[in-house]
Amino acid sequence: MKKLLLLFFLTLSLLIFITACSNDAEGEEPEEDTADEEQQADESTENEETNEEEAMDEKVEAVFWHAMSGSGQESIEAIVDNFNQSQDQYTIIPEFQGSYEEALTKFRSVGGTEDAPAIIQTFEVGTKYMIDSGFIEPVQSFIDEEGYDINQLEENILNYYTVDDQLYSMPFNSSTPVMLYNKDAFEEAGLDPEDPPQTFEEIKEAAEQLTVKDGDNTERYGFSILNYGWFIEELIATQGGLFVNNDNGRSDEATEAVFNGEEGLRVFQLIDEMNQAGTYGNFGSNWDDIRAAFQTENTAMYLDSSAGVAGTVENAPFEVGVAYIPYSEEAERNGVIIGGASLWMSNGIDEAKQQAAWEFMKYLQSPESQAKWHIDTGYFSINPAAYDEEMVQERWEEVPQLKVTVEQLQETKPSYATQGALISVFPEARQQVVTAMENVLQGTDPQEALDQAVEETNRVMEQANRANE
Amino acid sequence: MKSTAELQEKSVTKIDTKWRFIYWRSAILYLLPSIILFSVFLFYPLGKTLYLSFFLTDQQGNANVFVGLENYQYILQAESFHKSIKATILFVLYTVPTGVIISLFLALLANEKIKGVGIFRTIYSSTMGISVAASAVVWLFIFHPSMGILNQLITSIGGTSIDWLLHPNWALVSVSVTTIWMNIGFSFLIILGGLQNIDDHLYESARISGASYFYQLRRITIPMLSPTLFFVITVSLINAFQTFGQVDILTQGGPSESTNLIVYSIYREAFVNYQFGTASAQSIFLFICILIVTILQFKFGERKVHYQ
Repeated sequence: MKKLLLLFFLTLSLLIFITACSNDAEGEEPEEDTADEEQQADESTENEETNEEEAMDEKVEAVFWHAMSGSGQESIEAIVDNFNQSQDQYTIIPEFQGSYEEALTKFRSVGGTEDAPAIIQTFEVGTKYMIDSGFIEPVQSFIDEEGYDINQLEENILNYYTVDDQLYSMPFNSSTPVMLYNKDAFEEAGLDPEDPPQTFEEIKEAAEQLTVKDGDNTERYGFSILNYGWFIEELIATQGGLFVNNDNGRSDEATEAVFNGEEGLRVFQLIDEMNQAGTYGNFGSNWDDIRAAFQTENTAMYLDSSAGVAGTVENAPFEVGVAYIPYSEEAERNGVIIGGASLWMSNGIDEAKQQAAWEFMKYLQSPESQAKWHIDTGYFSINPAAYDEEMVQERWEEVPQLKVTVEQLQETKPSYATQGALISVFPEARQQVVTAMENVLQGTDPQEALDQAVEETNRVMEQANRANE
Repeated sequence: MKSTAELQEKSVTKIDTKWRFIYWRSAILYLLPSIILFSVFLFYPLGKTLYLSFFLTDQQGNANVFVGLENYQYILQAESFHKSIKATILFVLYTVPTGVIISLFLALLANEKIKGVGIFRTIYSSTMGISVAASAVVWLFIFHPSMGILNQLITSIGGTSIDWLLHPNWALVSVSVTTIWMNIGFSFLIILGGLQNIDDHLYESARISGASYFYQLRRITIPMLSPTLFFVITVSLINAFQTFGQVDILTQGGPSESTNLIVYSIYREAFVNYQFGTASAQSIFLFICILIVTILQFKFGERKVHYQ
C-alpha cells in the first residue's frame, strides 16, 4: 500500500515535470532550428569570404559591423557580396555584432584604435553619442573632398543625421512608425476599412467599437501601443511637440527634457482613458509579442515600424490596412521622425580602409542596392530613385501597403520636432518613458508619471554634461 | 645562571622567528597560484569597482569627475533603487524557501528504494542541464500574452486570463516560478546526495522502536541532513541575489520596474546607460548586503546544523 502511494506521488510529480518539458519542446524547437540554420549560413558565408580574401591579399579589407539579423542580415550580406564582386580594389567583411546596443557597447571598447571596424551601424538615438565620442570621421569630409552629390538622397532622412550643417554618418536603414489595422475586424464592427481613424478621438471611438468582450475576458482590444519610447517620441513629434529643450538639442546642447508638455500629456491621456475604458490592450515591451497579438486578432489596431509592415501583411490571416500614425485634433499633423540606423566611419584606422568604407557607402546609395534593400526588409530607400526601379514597382503591386509608409515620410514637414531629439543619454530617457507608460497603465496620473520621467531624465542629462565637460 | 637562561631564551626566539619565516615563505609559495588568480579575477575588479563608485564616467567610460559619496547618496534616496531592493528581497523570499522545500520533497520521494527510481532521479535533476537562457525562453512562451499555454489552459476551464509578465504584481511571481523550476535540479541533486549519506542503522533502530515515518523524518532525516540543507540554502540565497538571465529575457526589469532586481539594475546602469559610477555604487551595496546575509547565516544558521 505504502509503495503504491509512493509510486503515485512519483508519477504525479513526474507528470508536472513532463507537462513543463513538453511545452518547452513545442515552443522552442522551431526557434532553435532556425537559429542554427542561420548560424550555419553565417559561418559558411564567412568562411567563403575569408578564403576569397586569402586568395587576393592585395585587396584592401574593411570590416563592417552591423546589427541586422534575419532577413536584414541575408540582404545586407548579399549587397556586400555584390559590392565585393563589382570591383577588385576593396573587400568589405560584414560582421554581425548583436543588437544595436550590444554593437555600440563593443565599439566603445575598441573605438579610436587600430582594431576598430571601418564601418559601424548605429541606431538613430546613438547619433549624439557617436558625434561626441571622438572615435569617428564625419562622412562630410569625404563628401567635400570628392564633391559627391548628396542631394539625390531623401531630404527628410538626411535632416536627421545632419548636425551643425555636417552630415556625420551615412543614412542606411531608415524606418518610421505606422498604424496597422485589421480590415476584416473593421468590417465586422461596421467601420469603413478604407477610412481608418486618424485623430486621437477617432481612435478612441473606433477602439470602442472594435473591442470584443466575453465576460471578464477581452477577446479583442481596440488599440495597442508597444511599451517602447520611440512611439511616444513619434506621437509627440507628429503634434509638433519637442522632446528636449534648445530646439530638440539641435540649436544648442539640450539641458532639459520637455516631453511632459501638453503634447506628451495628450498622448498619455489617450492611453490612460482607453486603458480605463478597457479598449487598450497592453502586450508588453517585446516587438514579437505585440505582432503576435495582432496576428491572433487579440488587438485590432497597433503601431509598428515600417520595417515590419511587409512581414505582417504577408503573415496575417486577414486583410491588413496601413495608415499614418494618429495625431491630436488640437494640433496639426507634422509627420514623423526617422528611426532606424546609419553607418559611421571610424577614425584612427588606415586611410585605405576609410577609402574602402567610403566606396562601399557610395555603393549602398545606388538605386539598385536600395531597391533590393527596400524590398527585402521594408526599410526605406534612402535614395528616392530606387522607388522607380522595376522590382520596387512590382513589389508595391503585390504589397500596396508599403507605399503608405513612403508617402507618410515624404509628406513630413521638416521642423525641429520632426528632426528628432539629439541627446547623448537617449537610451536612459527611453527607459524612463517606458516606465512612465507602464505606470499610467497601472493607474498613475498621466501628468505625474510624465513629470517623474522628465525629472529622472534631467538628472542623467545633467550628470552626463558634467562628466563630459 | 641567569644570563645563560636569558641567552637560551633569546636564541630560542631567534630560531623561532627564523623557522616562522621559513614556514611563512613556503605557505605563501603554496598559496601563490590562488593568490594570483584571485587578485586578477576578484580583488582587482573589486578594487576597481570601489574606485569607480566615487566617480562620474564620461562617454569613453573613463572616470573623470570625482564626486565622493554622491553616487551612494543618490542610490540610497532614489525611488527606483528602493524598488530594486524591495523586488530583490521579495524575490529571495519567494524563491529560496519554496525551491528548497520542493527539492526536499522530490528528493525524499526519489530516495525510496523502488524499481525504476533512477529514471525519476534523472528527470528531476534534468533542469540542471538546461541553460538559463533556454529555460527562460521556454517560460516566455508559456507566459505569452496571446499564445501562452498557461492562459489558454485557464480560459478553457473558464477562468480569467492573467497578465503573467505584464502586471507588476504577477511579473515577479512569474520570474520566481521560472527561477524555482530552474534551480530545483541542482538543489534536488545535492539533497538527494545528502539523504543517501545518512546511515541506514539509524532508521533500522527507529523502526525497531516503532517510530512513524514523520517522526523519523523530523528526528533523523532533517537533523542528519542539516549540513546539506545549510549548504543548499546558502548557495540558493546567493544565487537569488545575483539573478540576471531570467529577468533579462522575461521582463527586462519591467513592468513599472517591478522585476528590476539589483543585478539587472546594475547591468542597465552600466551597459545601457553607461553610468559606471552609479552602477559601481550599486554593486558595492549589493556586495555588502550579501556579505551581511551570509555572515548572519553562518552565525545563526550554523548553530542549528548538526555535523556527524
